[in-house]
Order: sequence, then C-alpha cells, then structure tokens
Amino acid sequence: MFLLNRLYISCAVLCCLASCRSQQQDDNTFVFWSSSNPEEIKFTKQYVDQWNESHPEIPFFFQPVPEGQSSEEVLLAAVVGKTTPDIYANMWQGDVEDFARSGVLIALDTLDGFLEFLYQRCDSQVVREITSTDGHIYQVPWKVNPIMMMYNPAMFRAAGVEAVPTDYSSYLEAGAKIKMHAANANLGNQWLGISEVNPIWWQRFFNFLPLYYASSRGAPIVKDGKAFFNNEHGIGVFAFLQKLYVRDYFPREQQKGQSDPFLASRIASTFIGPWTIQQNERFKTEGFEYDFIHMPIPDSMTGPAYSYGDPKNMVIFNTCKNPQAAWQFLQTLVTPEADRDFLALSGQFPRRKDLDSNPLFVDYLQAHPKLIPFARQAKYVRGMDNAQYMKEVLDIISQEYEACVVYGLKSPEDAIAAAAKAVDLLYLND
Amino acid sequence: MKKILFYILLGLFAFAFLYPFIWMVSASLSEERSITNVTLWPVSFTIDHYVKLFQNIPIWGSFVNSVFVATIVTFGVLVFSSMAGYALARHRFKGRNLLFYFLLFTMTLPFQLTLIPNYILMVQFGWTNSFAALIVPGLLNAFAILLFRQHFLSIPQDLIDAARIDGCNEFRILFQILWPVSVPTLITVGIITFMTTWNDVLWPIIVIREEKLMTMPQLVTLFAVGGRSMGQIGMKLASATLLALPIIIAYLIFQKHFIQSMAASGQKE
Amino acid sequence: MHQNKTISSYLLVSPYLVHILVFVLFPVGFSLFLSFHEWNIISPMEYVGLSNYEKLLQDQYFLKSLRNTLVFLAIHIPLQIAIALGLAVILNQKVWFRAFFRGAFFMPVVVSGVVVTILWQQLYGYEMGSINLFLMELGFEKIGWLTDPQWAMPSIAIMATWKNVGLYIILFLVGLQSVPKSLYEASSLEGATPWQQFWHITLPVINPTVIMVMILSTIGGFSLFIEPYVMTGGGPLNSTLSAVLYIYKQGFFYYHMGYAATLGLILALIILLVVFFQRMVIENKQP
Repeated sequence: MFLLNRLYISCAVLCCLASCRSQQQDDNTFVFWSSSNPEEIKFTKQYVDQWNESHPEIPFFFQPVPEGQSSEEVLLAAVVGKTTPDIYANMWQGDVEDFARSGVLIALDTLDGFLEFLYQRCDSQVVREITSTDGHIYQVPWKVNPIMMMYNPAMFRAAGVEAVPTDYSSYLEAGAKIKMHAANANLGNQWLGISEVNPIWWQRFFNFLPLYYASSRGAPIVKDGKAFFNNEHGIGVFAFLQKLYVRDYFPREQQKGQSDPFLASRIASTFIGPWTIQQNERFKTEGFEYDFIHMPIPDSMTGPAYSYGDPKNMVIFNTCKNPQAAWQFLQTLVTPEADRDFLALSGQFPRRKDLDSNPLFVDYLQAHPKLIPFARQAKYVRGMDNAQYMKEVLDIISQEYEACVVYGLKSPEDAIAAAAKAVDLLYLND
Repeated sequence: MKKILFYILLGLFAFAFLYPFIWMVSASLSEERSITNVTLWPVSFTIDHYVKLFQNIPIWGSFVNSVFVATIVTFGVLVFSSMAGYALARHRFKGRNLLFYFLLFTMTLPFQLTLIPNYILMVQFGWTNSFAALIVPGLLNAFAILLFRQHFLSIPQDLIDAARIDGCNEFRILFQILWPVSVPTLITVGIITFMTTWNDVLWPIIVIREEKLMTMPQLVTLFAVGGRSMGQIGMKLASATLLALPIIIAYLIFQKHFIQSMAASGQKE
Repeated sequence: MHQNKTISSYLLVSPYLVHILVFVLFPVGFSLFLSFHEWNIISPMEYVGLSNYEKLLQDQYFLKSLRNTLVFLAIHIPLQIAIALGLAVILNQKVWFRAFFRGAFFMPVVVSGVVVTILWQQLYGYEMGSINLFLMELGFEKIGWLTDPQWAMPSIAIMATWKNVGLYIILFLVGLQSVPKSLYEASSLEGATPWQQFWHITLPVINPTVIMVMILSTIGGFSLFIEPYVMTGGGPLNSTLSAVLYIYKQGFFYYHMGYAATLGLILALIILLVVFFQRMVIENKQP
C-alpha cells in the first residue's frame, strides 16, 4: 500500500499548492499597485516608505502592476479573479464606468473629506467629467499627460518651412516640402511625422483622439449610449490623417530597430506627451533642437486647441477592508508637495487647477521651460467619456482607422459611419 | 560532380534551419546598433542585454516555475495515465468499453471548445494566479492513456499473474512490476508531456497574471509584446535565447529520444 | 479476491473519471449553456437567447478569421508536404552525416513557438530584417513581410512550415522505411524510372502519413495563436487575425464570456467537420 500512500501524499501536496495563492501580504497590510514606469515606482516607493514610517499601525505594501500586454488587461483579470489590490493608482479614466457598474469600486464621495479635497483640486469641468452616471465619484483625479505635437525646428528650417505648421493645410504643406528637400538633397528617407498604426485601442490616444478633441473643442466620443463621433470633426480628422499616409508624409512601417527616428532627424514631428522630454534629454545628441506646439487644427478654426489629456486616476477597490484609511493614505500622494515631486520625478502633470498660480509649480516650471507648453495645454484637455465599453469603442474606431487612414481603402465618411454603426450595436442591449 | 551539388543543396537546406538560431544568439550578444550587421558572429560583443534582462524581469524565477510545473505535470501524467491505461488494457469491469470509446471521443475534441469554460472553472475554484491552475488540468491526458493502454496490451499475462500470486495489489503490480519493463513508453509520454507543458503559452497567459508565478515562455512572450522591452531587439532576442537554451541542451543530449517521442506523438491521429 | 480486483479497477480509473468530468464533460456542457448568456463574470449572468448565434452569423471578424485560416492552410499544407516528403526521400537514401541533417531539420520542432516567433519577427523586419537586407543585397525590392496585408499570413505560414517540417520529415521517414526494398529492386530490373517508382511504389505506402500530416496541419492552422499574438496582433487589416486570437480577444480583452464560448463551440464544430471531410475525401480516393 505504500505506493498508494505516496499518491495520496502527492495529492495532498497538490491541494496545498492549489490553496497557496500568490502571497497576499498579511491581512492588515494594504496592497497598492502603481504603474510599472520606473520613475513612478521611485515616487511611489518614497511616499509609501514615508507613510509606513509615520503610520506603522496602517502598513502599506506596493508593487508595480504585473506585466501584461496592457495594464488595463491585467487589472480586468485581477478584478475577475478577485485578486485586486486595495488601491490602484494608474486607472485609465475610460475603464472606471465599467468597473463602477460592476460594483467593484468604492464610491469615494461617501468618504470623509473627499469632496472638499476634490473641489479644492479641480474645477467643475473636471468634476463633471469624472462623475459617474449614477452620481457617485469613484476616482481621484491624479495626473494628466496632454498630447502635443513635438517638432524638429532644424528640419523644418532646412526644408524651407518658415512658420511652425498649426493647421491641417500648413502641416500638409510642410510634409510636401520635407519630402522634396530630402529627395533633392539626397538625404535618404525623411518624413513629416510618424504615428503608431497598430489598431489597438490605446494607440488612438496619440493620433485620432487628440486631433478629434482639438477639432471639436472637446466633444464627446459617445453620448447617451450612442456614437457621437460621426460628425464633421471625426470625418475631418480621418480625412486629414488619410492624406498624410496617402501622400507618404507618414510612413506605414514603424521605424523601429535603430535609434529613435525623431532624435535621428529622420522624422520632423510626432504627437506625444511630456514624458518624452526626459527621454530626449537623455538620448539626444549635442545641439539637437526640439519644441512643442498644440495639435494641428482645421484651417478655419480659432481659439484654444484642446487635446487628449490621458488622465490616470486612483481608485479604491471594494476588496479594501478600510477605505477610509486607504483614502487617508491616498491624500498624502496628492498634496501640492507630492504633486511637485511627482512632476519632477516622472515629467507627468498633476491634474490640478492651480498649476499656473501655486508658486510651487510656477517656480518649478520656470526652471524647466520645456514643460511650459504642456502646462498651458493642461488647461485644455479632455479625458474620456463616462460610458461603458470605451476600450471596445476605441478598438472599433481603430479598425476603421487602419482601413481608412493607414491603407486608404475606405472614404473617411464610410469609415466613420461604419464605426458609429458598430458602436451603436455595442450599446444596443443596455 | 552531381553528388557534390546534391550535398551543397542539402547543406543549404540545413543552413536555413540552423542559421536563424545562430543569428539569434549572435545578435543577442551584439550591441543594439550593430544588430543589423550581424551575420554569423557577434558584432561589438556585449552581454549588456542579458544583464539588463535579469534586472528587468524575474526570468530566473520564471525558469524555476516552469521546471516545477512541467515536472509535476509530467509526473502526474505518468502516474495517473498509466493507472487508467493499465485498467483499460488488463482489467475487466463494467463500463470499460464505454470508457474506452469515450477516451477516443475526447481525443478528437478541439481545445477551443473548453478554453472559456475551463477558465471560468479556475475563477470559481479561486485558482487564478496559482500553480494549481497550471498543474491540475494537465495531470491527465487522453493521448497518454492511449499510449499506455497500447503498451500494456503487449505485456505477457504471466508476468501479471505471477505477481498476483505473490499477493501484490494492483497498484504494486503497475508501479513495481510493469513500470520497470515500460521504460520506453514512460520516456515517450514523459518527453511529450514535459515539452507540451513547457512550451504552452495560451493557458498560462489566461490564468496567471502575477509576475512571480509566470512560466518562462509566458514571461518572455509578455516581455516581447508588453512595454518593458521598450522595443529593444537585443533584449528580446536575449530573452528568446534563454528560453530556447534549456530545451536545446536537453535535445542535444537526448536527441534520439526526442525524435522518437515526437514521432510517436504524431501517430495519434 | 474478485471483488477486490473490481474495486481496484475503479480505483485505477478514478482519477481519470474525476478529471474528465471536471475538465472535459462539464466544460462542454457549460459552454453550451454559456452560449445562451451574456456574462462578464463580475456582473450577474444574463439570458440572451439565441442572440450570440445571431451575432456570430453577422460577425465579419469571425468570418475573416476563418478566411485567414484558409489562406494559412492553402500555403502551409502543400509547402509542408512537399518539403517534408522531399527531404525525407533524400534522407532515406545513403547520405553522409544523415544524423546531423535530421537533427538540424528537427531543431525548430523542439523549441518553443515563442522563440520562433520572436526570432522570425526580427528576420521579417521591414527596414532592418535579415531577409529584406539579403533581398536588397541580391537586388530585389524590400517586402513588407508582416506589414503588407497580402504578405502577412503567408509569412506566418512559411514560418510555421519551417518550425514543423522536421517533425513531418521524421513521420515520412517512418513511413518510407516500411516500403520493402525488394519492390524497388524488382521494378528497377523492369526499367522503371525513379519517378515512376516514387509514384507507384512509395506514394501508396505513405498515403496514410500524408493524410495524417494534412490533418495535423489543419488542426494546427485552426489553433494558431501565439504567432499572430506576438508578431502582428492580428493585423495588418486583420489579415492575420486567427480564430483563437479572436476568441481570446472576445474572452479576455472584453470579457464577453458568452460570446467567446459560442465562438469556441462553433469553431470546434467546424474543425471536427473539416477533419472528418478531409478523411472521407482522401480515403475514398485511395486506390
């Protein structure tokens, strides 16, 4: 019988394995996930350590969000598997409504001191944007990364582009000049710009979304359970982008492989957020120039150009045993000093209304003038609509984007209409 | 003359199969900028990619996880499948034929059918993010049972009868009398199981989201598609090289067994 | 004694019974059940009748994934059989370094698909990939192996052939070795050319192997996942969207568990039908 015993032992071992899940810290410890960006990890570590020193009775443990194709995918799996942390600090605004409806988030407005804090930090437009359809607020507005156009003034000058292009036709004109100049001077392949063509939803943060918001002054994508982007702005943006590819001003192939094509002066412009400044400073060659300006806008348009702000917020999951304590901790991450430290460490902007009045930020920006255009743009950003399925909506738009913009197989009108139809279907059952 | 041409042609073919691996290793040992120049040997030799890789992702831990999972699964498959195979081959009991036809039927079921429900099962058991999800569903498989059954059918009845007269129970007969004379089948099933478990990616990607518990192919896949490799080709190739290394070493040592086992696995249709 | 033996019979098969109940039978039933529901696991399940099936019939992406699979198989199967059979016939003769050649061809088979995809992704690179650099050396144009919608699926099919062909060489070798040598000698005496010998002696014997290779390749084609997942994400223009990748997207991107289960169910049915059909057609053709 000893063999049978051995089998039973193996079975017992297996059962133990089954029950031993990934180490959950002991029960009193709060678990906090930050983004996996190295600078943010540094910031989080500093503040978690500080907290643990001064509040040993409420210990916090932090780790970056596990590796996955996107952090949103990992988080969703954690929600489904009930392995969420107590706090997550890199929540994409477009996901909050889905999670709130599923009942896995704590309504923060029920916590002491939250609303006061919120109104002190943000203006009413932001508060409106983050208020869920059920009237509750489930997220702490934390940071934004306004998307702007980065350009290489030297390349523009060399190609004879006098004024920095700000609208569709001047941008297209610049593209023609750069192409011609590269051909005449035998410079090899040079392009006006580059943008990721991959039809995955979050790549639209860097092309379609900011252009759409700029053109429409921040109109919604989805409204009242229907697609809203089937309008002149959506179509105009598709038409503009399509020209960039049809005329070969933007390459379809990604210029991966060797060094950053922008820093190598093969690409004259790109749409990107403030985090790029740190990268550029680290890798650029001596004397390399770059600058920022708002996204291209339709020719006749005037007034401020909005952009996509890529807001990431903090949320508390309902697996948290003491939300009030978690909120107490979160507050230490969003004090003016913490926000300034965050800006300095990561090059990303805190989402607060006093960026241009609080001396803390004014002084910092003065010392780092490259950031100033982003600080101005941060006043004119939009996040995501408070609607369900936003990822899927952006995926649908991406599918049409690829067919119409990148490959030119469809007219902008048809592509936008097809996307709108598919999006309407998505909301049909609700 | 014709012969030389023939060997040149065959050599070219072999080269086409080996060259990518050589390139992969060389490129992973070259500076990022020079990777396009790599032909056979590393250009501007550096082990930088490997150093950075070990700093960036827990690749060593994932190797240990993979070895652990694949070993337990292989052991489980050998034990449990040989048990079922033995009963189906040498025992008479009610429902045996039914069970056997059922076995043949389940072998034809594509995994696409059970992927979603099995994931939900893992969620309900609370097994997501645990080794149980990687191990338990793999502990038995129909093909291994079939191989064992086939093999046990060929064993002389005398051997079993003699053991029974000596008072051995059935488990003892299986593990102490039959196993020692079934080494080739054990090796075949073992190698196939170990390799399929080791190489599986889809299932781990679905059930494991905790970096510390990831298997090596999973971690390397997510590293390649996720953001942390930052588009660095050298690092991606270094991770692929590390992933390939254990199996290639095993293959070079046990080449004959590998080829025989995989050939046997092909016979399943 | 007899009683004892019956008990031990059931003891021996009990792990198998439990396993199959939990991980095969229940899932099959549950996936049928799920296909009438909408469920994201977090919220309560919702009965939706046949709407998942209706959606599937109009789902252009699912149709596209099936079409992509056909493209893959149309290239992969003939290529695979031709190369594997050709090399097997060569290796079946007296060849120097036979073990070396066999070992070399078999190498990609043992390595994880992830390694192969990461590796070939670089080889297929547009600007910097070795293959394009080589083509340019020879004076050809660059090809957008993974970025041109026309080329992307064929590229994956070529890669898959490279990965698997070693296995099929071995299978064909096993088949070839079962052809009696005397048959060749006899026909040589009668003046048959090597080609005639191949056609009339070799092929009939290895026909079962050809069927097996076809069926295994077909199942492999319908199971394509890691290749598009790593190399292309299903693009460009969904030209490499495989059926399993689409199920993965519906299931684990959007958590439409009901719809993903429906897709899995229908796909499984299609696979069974195709394999059954292949077998019937080929077996009827046999002389």
